Amino acid sequence: MKGASLKLWRVTKRFRNVVAVDNLNLEVDRGEFIVLLGPSGCGKTTTLRIIAGLETPDEGRVYIDDVDVTDLEPGERDVAMVFQDYALYPHITVFENIAFPLVVRARKLSLTKRDIEEKVLNVAKMLKIDDLLDRKPTQLSGGQQQRAALARALVKEPKIWLMDEPLSNLDALIRLQVRAEIKKLQKDLGITTVYVTHDQTEALSLADRVAVMNRGRILQIGSPREIYDDPKHIFVATFVGVPPMNLLECRVSDVLECPGFRRKLPEESKEYFKRLNKIYIGIRPEHIEIVSKEEGDLEGVVYVIEPLGPEYIINVLVDDTLIKIKTVKEYTLHSGDKVYLKINWAKAIAFDTATGLSLGKISIA
Amino acid sequence: MRLNKQIRLIFFLLFPFTLLTIFVVYPIVATVYYSLYDKNTGSLNLNNYIDVISSINPIYMLVSRSFTPTPPWGALIHNLAWVLIHVPLTILLGLILAFILKYYVKGSALIRTIIFLGMVVPPVVGGLIIRFMFDGVVGIIPAIFSFMGIEALSKTWTNYPSTALYALILGSLWIWLGFSITVFSAALENIPRSHIDAARVFGASMRHIFLKVIVPQLRPAIVIVTVMTALWDMKIFDVVYASTGGGPGGSTSVLALVMYSYFARALDYYKSAAVAVILALIVAPFIVIVMRWLKD
Amino acid sequence: MRGKLLRTMLINLIVWTLALAWALPYIGVVAVSAMPYKEVVTEGWLRIPNVDSLTLRNYIEALTNPLYDLATGYRNSLIVASISTLIPLIAAALAAYAFSNLDFRLKPLLFGLVLVIMMVPQQLTVVPLFFLYRNLGLYDTMQGIILLHSAWGIAWITFFLRNYFKFIPRSLIEAARVDGASDFRIFSKIVLPLSVPGLIAAALLQFTWVWNDLFYALVFLISRENQVITQKVVMLKGEYHIDWGLLTAGSVISMSMPVILYAVFNKYFMKGVAAWGVKR
Repeated sequence: MKGASLKLWRVTKRFRNVVAVDNLNLEVDRGEFIVLLGPSGCGKTTTLRIIAGLETPDEGRVYIDDVDVTDLEPGERDVAMVFQDYALYPHITVFENIAFPLVVRARKLSLTKRDIEEKVLNVAKMLKIDDLLDRKPTQLSGGQQQRAALARALVKEPKIWLMDEPLSNLDALIRLQVRAEIKKLQKDLGITTVYVTHDQTEALSLADRVAVMNRGRILQIGSPREIYDDPKHIFVATFVGVPPMNLLECRVSDVLECPGFRRKLPEESKEYFKRLNKIYIGIRPEHIEIVSKEEGDLEGVVYVIEPLGPEYIINVLVDDTLIKIKTVKEYTLHSGDKVYLKINWAKAIAFDTATGLSLGKISIA
Repeated sequence: MRLNKQIRLIFFLLFPFTLLTIFVVYPIVATVYYSLYDKNTGSLNLNNYIDVISSINPIYMLVSRSFTPTPPWGALIHNLAWVLIHVPLTILLGLILAFILKYYVKGSALIRTIIFLGMVVPPVVGGLIIRFMFDGVVGIIPAIFSFMGIEALSKTWTNYPSTALYALILGSLWIWLGFSITVFSAALENIPRSHIDAARVFGASMRHIFLKVIVPQLRPAIVIVTVMTALWDMKIFDVVYASTGGGPGGSTSVLALVMYSYFARALDYYKSAAVAVILALIVAPFIVIVMRWLKD
Repeated sequence: MRGKLLRTMLINLIVWTLALAWALPYIGVVAVSAMPYKEVVTEGWLRIPNVDSLTLRNYIEALTNPLYDLATGYRNSLIVASISTLIPLIAAALAAYAFSNLDFRLKPLLFGLVLVIMMVPQQLTVVPLFFLYRNLGLYDTMQGIILLHSAWGIAWITFFLRNYFKFIPRSLIEAARVDGASDFRIFSKIVLPLSVPGLIAAALLQFTWVWNDLFYALVFLISRENQVITQKVVMLKGEYHIDWGLLTAGSVISMSMPVILYAVFNKYFMKGVAAWGVKR
């Protein structure tokens, strides 16, 4: 199976007074796995449903393999969709569920009963549920049901695979298993996939590219690496990454005044930053270290330590700002201890407080 | 694509709505027309309404001109009396019984089944059974009062204007209680158990729980039972027709029966339509309430 | 805690007595229908019956005597109620599907119409239909009254089924859409099979409602061969003298069908009514 290309052009969708999808543009290559990532209400599911044809955009067009499908019914677009609650029909067997898309099209595709059987068995074997075909969906576990839903989505060899938070209803352990299988399947089959989730770990592990959305807009598209290391917007920076990126609110005058320290601005950027009164400096928890007094950039007081098994989250109060540090080193620290922190300035990013846009790396040594 | 949608809609809606239009919508509109049709002059005016409202024939009258301590008071008054007596009784009894059946009684399913039977049985039979139960010879109620020595109530209630209406109203309680108990029982099931458990942990008595925790949460159910019961009481026909036919002397006349009498006895179809419209107008506010409730 | 036990026992006693009082009328009717009237007058009916004198005479009389002819009434009621259940069930299912799964501009208006029709008193439609039926030759026919009952049934069953259909998860319908299923296929292969309990409840309630109807029957059915059982039962009551044995037997016969249905399908009846009290 080979996937199709997908293009959304200026897609806008409104519900009553709310703009769910706001002038959205997106291009997805053949065989690409793209994840729409964002909080509830950001418009990611609506965007997916527009691609599927379950919603019609108020403005804009949708193209699949360069064909304008915006006015076509869902059934005419050759897409397949996997739903959060699996959407398996409880009154028929798993076999009949998986066969359903083929039975609907049997006449159009000139499929015999034998053909259908063969295809269903193939797909069931691929997803390792070929021994469950005679059961009813309610007799299957959550993970098995999800696999059946995936099988049904694959059996008609669609051009595009759409998934709406398919793993949210699964137990944590099953979730990881199915997640890995989805990734492998997609790579083997090469179907273009659009995947919606609010879980950033899922997004980073599955995607070729991640589109971070908020309020109906895509704030940034890029590889997981790019999204993580080089966020172009403060929302992206804080949404991706656990624990979220630390934000230090700094005042800009002749010098940079941040909680816990002051710095001289580098000459090149002095004029540029001076125009802004305030900026945020973002630094991820894993890029801050606890050091000795001499090596430290700033000083703080341990607020609380959260041991998470292989790593620790150390919360440090610097002036009035709470900074989180993530480290695998074991320190013998307690709440109330004085500590000295060193920031890896090569990884720090500055943000405009008004627009939230990234101002790039800030090189203050 | 858009044409497809139209065809789909027609397929699903044409047959049902055609039937509805011919047999319900058209007749409703036409009834209003007929109610305004003056058969003497052939023009449209309110004469039918005037005649119907001003009638003093006990069988046909809607409101009695003079005050009497016992019925007949006019069909409209009878309906109103019905509502005023029946509704509070069915709510009170329904609430208390639903509560007691849930928390205190074993085998409540059987009891509920017996009481609900009244809703299943044809209202005609309900009327006949009421006639039966209040009969001086074979009926239980007069027998009880005879045993207690109350002469006045040991005769056939439905033969006397002073008691006939009350017999019917009490009988309708017997028929209709199943509705209120079922609705209240269902609503009771919907109260989160944690509310009641919390109250018990706080040491509240069962009576306190009933009054302060349960009844307030049952307010929507109380409203719907009130309105549905009132609607039923205003529209009542079968029960009266079967038990008393509106008598004796019009003391159990009700609006629907008056409508029927104009239709089948006086053969005055236009006045009959007028009464139907009056009935519809009176129950209209209840209908509006129920509709708002249903709109969700 | 002795007081609590005593109180519970007292409450049980009261409630069970009440239940007995509620059941008494039925017991009375059955008893009188099978006992000779003389005995009822002299010894009353609230007693252990004299097994030797129990008789089915009243039943046979009610069913076969051409004056009363309840057998014909029973047959007519069966026919009218059955067909008046089948037609609206199908029609309302179609309409309910449209209201729950399709989008169209007139939807709120048409649904509002359905709601209003549901609640309007029967009397409001009779006069014009009387004229119309006479002109169309539908007066005093079973077809005529079947059509009328079907129309009313469509209104409330549409409302009932539409709420029922709404319980089917939207994703099931959408999955079928994405797979290319037509609305008719979705309706027949997915929605209907998943709504069987609702369909059964609606059918039972409609059948009972039509069976129990008297008003329309009085207006639209005149001749003996066409009258239904509710009419015939009322005619058993004499103007001046009541033959209680006959009347009670007739009552038992006419309520037998709804009661049997209720006994077998108890749950469906209760759930149907209970739906009025629970807001979703």
